[in-house]
Amino acid sequence: MKYKSEPQTLGELLAATITLAKDPSAAGRWFIGSMAVLVISFGFVMFQLITVGHASFNTSSDGVNWGLPIATYVFFALTSSGLTMIASLATVFGFKQFYPIAKRCIFLAIITLVAGFSVLALELGHPFRMLWVVPTGVQVMSPMFWMGVFYTIDLVLLIVKFYLMWKEDWDSPLSHLVGNAGFVAVILASGMLGLLFGSMVMRPMWFGSFTSIYYMLTAALSGAAAIVVTTYMAYDFDREKMPAQLKAFASGIELPRVFTTLIGITLVMMLARFWTGLWSNMDGLEGFAGLFRDPLFHVEMWVGLALPFFMLLSEKAARNKNAQIIAAFLVLGAMFINRLEFIVSGQTVPMFKGNWTNSLIAYSPSVTEWAMAVLGIAISLALYAFGEKVLDLSATPDHLESTEATAARAAT
Amino acid sequence: MSNPLNPTVSRRRFLQATGAAGAATAVGVGTGALPGFTAIEKVHAQPAAEKSGETVITKSFCHQCPARCGIDVYTTNGRVHSIFGTLDNPLSNGKLCPKGHLGTFLLYDPDRFKGPMKRTNPKKGRNEDPGFVPISWDEALQTVADRLNTLRDKGESHRFGLLFGRGWGAVDAGLLGTFGKLYGTPNSGLGHSSTCADGSKKAKLYTDGNYDYSSYDYAHCNNLLIFGAGFLEAFRPYNYNMQVWGQMRTKAAKTKVTVVDVHMSTTGAAADRLIMIKPGTDGAMALAMAHVILTEGLWDRKFVGDFKPVVQPKDPAAARLPSPTFETGKEIDPALFEGKWTHGLIEWWNAELKDRTPEWAEKITTVPAREIIATARELATVKPSIALFERGPTAHTNGVYNGMAIHSLNALTGSLWVEGGMLNQTTKTPWAKLSLKYEDYMDDYAKSDDRKKPKIDGVGTKYKMASAQIQRIGEYHLKGDPYKMDTLMFYLTAPIFSSPENNGWEKALQDIFVIDTTPYPSENAMFSDLILPDNTYLERLQIADTYSFQGYPMSMIRTPAVKPVHDTKTFGDTLIEIGKRIKGPTSEYYKQLGNTENIIKQMVAGFAENPGDNGVNDYESFKAKGVWFNKTVPYRQKDGVFYAWDKESKSHSIPIDAAKVKEKIFKTPTGKFEFKSGYMEQEKYAHYIHDKHGIAEDRVGFPQWIAPKYSGTGDLHFIASKLPIAAEGRAGNLAHAIAVAQPTQGGKRDVFVEINPETAAKKGIKDGDVVLIKSKTGSVKAPARIYAGVRPDTVFLPYFHGHWAQGRWAKAEERIQKNSVNEVIENVSDPISGLACYYSGMCSIEKA
Amino acid sequence: MAKWGMVIDLEKCTGCQACTMACSMENGRLPGEHWQDVIFYNEGEYPSPQLKWFPRPCMHCENPSCVAVCPARATYKTEEGQVLVDWERCIGCKYCMIACPYGVRFYTEEKPRYGGPDMKSVFKSGDAHSWNPPWKGPAENWTRGVGTQPAGVVSKCTFCDHRISKAPKGTADLDPQNPATREFTPACVVTCAPGARMFGDLSNPNSEVSKAIGNKNGVRLLDHLGNKPQVYYLTGEGGSVPGNRVLPTKKA
Ligand SMILES: Nc1nc2c(c(=O)[nH]1)N[C@H]1C(S)=C(S)[C@@H](COP(=O)(O)OP(=O)(O)OC[C@H]3O[C@@H](n4cnc5c(=O)[nH]c(N)nc54)[C@H](O)[C@@H]3O)O[C@H]1N2
Ligand SMILES: Nc1nc2c(c(=O)[nH]1)N[C@H]1C(S)=C(S)[C@@H](COP(=O)(O)OP(=O)(O)OC[C@H]3O[C@@H](n4cnc5c(=O)[nH]c(N)nc54)[C@H](O)[C@@H]3O)O[C@H]1N2
Ligand code: SF4
Ligand code: SF4
Ligand code: SF4
Ligand code: SF4
Ligand code: SF4
Ligand SMILES: [Mo]
Repeated sequence: MKYKSEPQTLGELLAATITLAKDPSAAGRWFIGSMAVLVISFGFVMFQLITVGHASFNTSSDGVNWGLPIATYVFFALTSSGLTMIASLATVFGFKQFYPIAKRCIFLAIITLVAGFSVLALELGHPFRMLWVVPTGVQVMSPMFWMGVFYTIDLVLLIVKFYLMWKEDWDSPLSHLVGNAGFVAVILASGMLGLLFGSMVMRPMWFGSFTSIYYMLTAALSGAAAIVVTTYMAYDFDREKMPAQLKAFASGIELPRVFTTLIGITLVMMLARFWTGLWSNMDGLEGFAGLFRDPLFHVEMWVGLALPFFMLLSEKAARNKNAQIIAAFLVLGAMFINRLEFIVSGQTVPMFKGNWTNSLIAYSPSVTEWAMAVLGIAISLALYAFGEKVLDLSATPDHLESTEATAARAAT
Repeated sequence: MSNPLNPTVSRRRFLQATGAAGAATAVGVGTGALPGFTAIEKVHAQPAAEKSGETVITKSFCHQCPARCGIDVYTTNGRVHSIFGTLDNPLSNGKLCPKGHLGTFLLYDPDRFKGPMKRTNPKKGRNEDPGFVPISWDEALQTVADRLNTLRDKGESHRFGLLFGRGWGAVDAGLLGTFGKLYGTPNSGLGHSSTCADGSKKAKLYTDGNYDYSSYDYAHCNNLLIFGAGFLEAFRPYNYNMQVWGQMRTKAAKTKVTVVDVHMSTTGAAADRLIMIKPGTDGAMALAMAHVILTEGLWDRKFVGDFKPVVQPKDPAAARLPSPTFETGKEIDPALFEGKWTHGLIEWWNAELKDRTPEWAEKITTVPAREIIATARELATVKPSIALFERGPTAHTNGVYNGMAIHSLNALTGSLWVEGGMLNQTTKTPWAKLSLKYEDYMDDYAKSDDRKKPKIDGVGTKYKMASAQIQRIGEYHLKGDPYKMDTLMFYLTAPIFSSPENNGWEKALQDIFVIDTTPYPSENAMFSDLILPDNTYLERLQIADTYSFQGYPMSMIRTPAVKPVHDTKTFGDTLIEIGKRIKGPTSEYYKQLGNTENIIKQMVAGFAENPGDNGVNDYESFKAKGVWFNKTVPYRQKDGVFYAWDKESKSHSIPIDAAKVKEKIFKTPTGKFEFKSGYMEQEKYAHYIHDKHGIAEDRVGFPQWIAPKYSGTGDLHFIASKLPIAAEGRAGNLAHAIAVAQPTQGGKRDVFVEINPETAAKKGIKDGDVVLIKSKTGSVKAPARIYAGVRPDTVFLPYFHGHWAQGRWAKAEERIQKNSVNEVIENVSDPISGLACYYSGMCSIEKA
Repeated sequence: MAKWGMVIDLEKCTGCQACTMACSMENGRLPGEHWQDVIFYNEGEYPSPQLKWFPRPCMHCENPSCVAVCPARATYKTEEGQVLVDWERCIGCKYCMIACPYGVRFYTEEKPRYGGPDMKSVFKSGDAHSWNPPWKGPAENWTRGVGTQPAGVVSKCTFCDHRISKAPKGTADLDPQNPATREFTPACVVTCAPGARMFGDLSNPNSEVSKAIGNKNGVRLLDHLGNKPQVYYLTGEGGSVPGNRVLPTKKA
């Protein structure tokens, strides 16, 4: 195991960062690149917020209240949850063959959540005030309150879990407990994020318990896509560079199967959602028709989901490296569109504006809003590249080999 | 000074603006001032509570439309923060229309002129920066005086003209006539009424002898028929209309409302019946209604009169003769009918009405005959009823005749002067006369026959029957017909935006020295050489009477709520100050006059022996209450008898004779309501009407159908009238108004042009497309709204946006409409009333 | 404890928007920030099209979804039944705007929609206020959402808290035509020319509002959503409360 090479003290950590910045390797380049983007986008966003304020958004009280920044937050939050779910396959449900990606999943879950929260903070009118009013308010009626609670718990558990993994503790009862608790937390968190929209009876395009399920399962999908992309990214998209077990796993069928299954489930859910939406006449559902006319939505549906699904159907293709990578990228993109599409379309039916807004509301994000999305991506990439280089994200428990066979059986 | 609309604030002004130098607003009341009168700055002085944090309510009256609602102005720490209607003012009754509340913004409009300015760039044009530079009031006033004195020396004082619009009373518009006489010009006090509503007043003058906006007893009316008036949008007194609307729609017998218009306005939508009529054809519908009322025997016999009893043959065996009736197409012997309070009914029937069937009218108006019949029957049976009309039917070449036909319905149904009908105001506010006689101050020059020059607007010469013709002044000046103007001063009017073919004025004002008194930037100001900014209405002292809305006299006073925010001066005082600088006895007259406050105080003295119903009997109580009124309505009609008010029984119970009726009620040659107008039949007018309309001279007096002459070019009628939030051309820079401007179509930033779906389809125009509306006189751009509430042969674009030289919000880059709708409307007037034919314009539309 | 409520008679309402303007000026609103708005709808074919409208303040719901969703407890229901926003707690998450079925809430930081410069930048405020209208009134109470608000918060109709809270306890009707109660009456009610708006204590069965609701069958907007507005509409013959929120798409 090469985890010994991981920095043990803060000093070492800093040193590692410096060396990384100079490092010519892929991760090095990723790090420098994304750091640059991060700094630029952050600078731009801050400048806009200070000079223009949120007026630099294209959101409005008469129209779409929640725009791209919220969608970005949801995208990252759910991807984080999804990653935890994938990790749990190994850490909670004992599918040992998933161990090679477990640590990376957990790490990614942490940084995507951080990225999500950062974007959210910039979207709020008073982010710092939140820190005291929400805890003192304890508005137990508010889905947003509970979402906050569960994601905070989730984040804490993720960090603990990662710390334990880093300390090579994969199997202690504590480690298992943290893992199990983390899984529960992430289900509640993603489910609650779904409820935040699902409980809005006045916004029929969101309303319904289905929304929670939809959020949980699509979370798993974006998590799966994220881990595939990042794992390959870590090794310059070259399996040969991977350590043994990871290579075996990557060329194995389990991950593609899970991945394809999740795409399938998502497609079915979207179909169901659209069927009811387009079919019923209820006032407030007109947005579905609008969505149906939106090319971006069709990119999501056909290019981003259907295509990868069929690509990975045959076992041969499923094992194929490029197929996996392309599929994963497409799905990740689709999921990003999905969050935006879901959140915006739910608001395109004006709330009692009559002739003031006498058709579906048109919304396209402003430059500042886009910059915030870019910022979120840059944050996660930078942190990831960092983690990839200074930490050993492919680490696995020592006893993994011995149990590989059983795990394989369990999986098939 | 690059930005003309925002002259830099000189230090003195700065002090001013911050209220530190109140004295600078002082108007010289020195030597000549009548003894004992306080100088004006005392009036301008803050309410005691200036900084005490307590809220002071100042009585004033709204400036934004002719309704003149009494208002309470709330001021705290010298800052005006809200305006509400005055509760004990019989017109506003504590209420306001949407505009009323925006007075606070009008006071603090950041684009206001900061003080007097003169032009430095001799070139004039839309894109010419006038290069205004601030000057002192003294310099400003002296510049005007010098100019006027030079003209006078050259014997050309008639080449000075003073144009005014929304006049208020004795201390502004009321000063203009005298100024003209003393200075020696027939052109001081040329009003805007010919772009306003002269049509309806003339129609009434010719038939019932009252040149007046009537007063309507809505509260007791059971049937209201509205021809082309924005009853819930504009028609005066807008605020009061809405108050009675609440009563009419919920009283025991709910008032039935029918609206005749060319598109569905809120008024039309709120009515029980909306009839969308072809523009300019209201007269035909009214005549057909009269036809129905007569043929079906539904007229009010007690008021109109009736057929004499037929003399039956002695021989009882002989067949009985039937009593005569009105039969379509059949003439009647006038001798058979005896008019009561009406004159010429049978002559009218024979000459005009007998063939005016609903079927005939349907062809002209596109209104189904059965609708016309139903409306007529209802008007004559569900009573008391009122047929009112305003600019809609009258702003057409046949406007007066349309109006006369409609007003005749009020006579046929006997609605005149009855409870629940309409009447005219016969009493006046007992203002005291000024001790000062201007006649004593006229010098030989002013008196000389050489001063009897024709007016520049052609009234009395080219327009024999009109009261004004402001819209023609530019054109006549350009032609030098009868002469060229040298100097024009503007008070509360800006035909360069508001009159038809307004763009013509841009040429006309090139070689005229223009003085504007506007406190706000405007197109007119852009063409001005001198700006003498007026105080805005919350800053000035002023008095006015209401129009005859309630049938009894009501007068209000504006007390300044705050010191002028900038270095501005109330127009009346500006004019007096100019007068003081005119050579000869004129200056003496104005020195004696002193200032507007002196005038008001003298006039108010009249209240001493005639206190108002609310106890107002002097200057102080007047300022405290804000209004003087006396609610007695002297006369009323009931069952064909006119009664005078009896103080004892507190009822209209003293019958009055025909002579009194002629004196007070129907001021016509016959002392009756005339279906055959003696006024119009006077030789001088009969000729004139014949020339203009080609009507045989013996027919000119009858309310009759003459086809409207549509002006402009194109296949669609272009109607551009008012929105509730518009104050003529003055609301353009009010962002709050802009944000709610056209609620019916969703006009938040732009106002939309209403296009019928059928028409839009033909032209390939989609909802939201930008369309170009054009005629031979000009064009305007606006976004389209496909709307089934407008006639297929008509497009409707509200008269609101298009100011290219008002404040920063009016001129917003993002807005699609960049110029006045009036550029599309040809400058044609009704030859009789002189009213500009705003609604007879044609246009064509295309996707821009 | 009073339970303030409003009754709007659509038979009388002329759609004049004086209520909207009175509110904007009284409460220092930005143009287009319509705590009180008049909503118009049109449909139907020439020559018998329909144009209907209804004024829409905040409904001050009995079961306010905006209160339920507020993670900061910034939006709250008072004992007198108003729903208010505490500007010192609001974090500007806009969840309440999402959750209000009636679209009556506004976020300060927005692009101006009226054209021309942003009023906030023309009338800048040197302090925590988001802007400083020269005509702003003396009343200000951030914990009750009264006055000119700070940046980054959500605002809404307060039922003119600064006026009604001064009414003597036990007042049944805030009648603008009665000099004794006029100054305590909400601005929009004071100015409404046809008297289409009534304001009073819903918990008092003898108040004019209670009587009107009882006798004239007051109805509430989107009642099926269960927010139970404290603003009732009388539809009489004249008006109608539209159940739908968006127009049929226009044909051209
Ligand atoms: N809100 C507001 N109120 C105002 C004013 C204002 O600027 N704004 N100005 C005040 C002044 S100065 C005046 S003169 C009055 C004017 O009061 P109105 O005369 O009532 O107002 P307008 O808007 O000129 O026209 C009224 C209606 O005539 C209709 N119309 C046009 N052509 C025809 C036609 O041929 N036949 C029929 N039947 N209808 C037609 C228009 O569609 C419009 O609905 O309003 C006063 N009140
Ligand atoms: N298309 C179309 N055109 C119309 C109408 C219509 O309905 N449609 N309506 C017509 C009617 S009814 C009328 S009455 C005319 C009115 O038209 P105008 O008589 O021209 O009156 P306004 O357009 O109000 O312009 C008033 C001028 O006075 C200035 N002003 C504003 N406040 C003050 C003040 O306090 N003091 C002074 N001294 N000046 C001030 C303004 O800047 C503006 O320049 O418009 C007519 N034009
Ligand atoms: S009706 Fe409106 S605009 Fe006209 S005076 Fe009254 S409040 Fe002012
Ligand atoms: S003020 Fe009264 S009448 Fe006018 S829109 Fe508002 S509620 Fe209706
Ligand atoms: S109307 Fe909307 S904002 Fe007002 S209380 Fe009800 S839910 Fe809350
Ligand atoms: S925006 Fe403010 S009031 Fe609205 S939910 Fe968020 S914290 Fe509460
Ligand atoms: S009650 Fe006050 S805050 Fe609410 S809409 Fe009316 S005026 Fe505005
Ligand atoms: Mo007018």
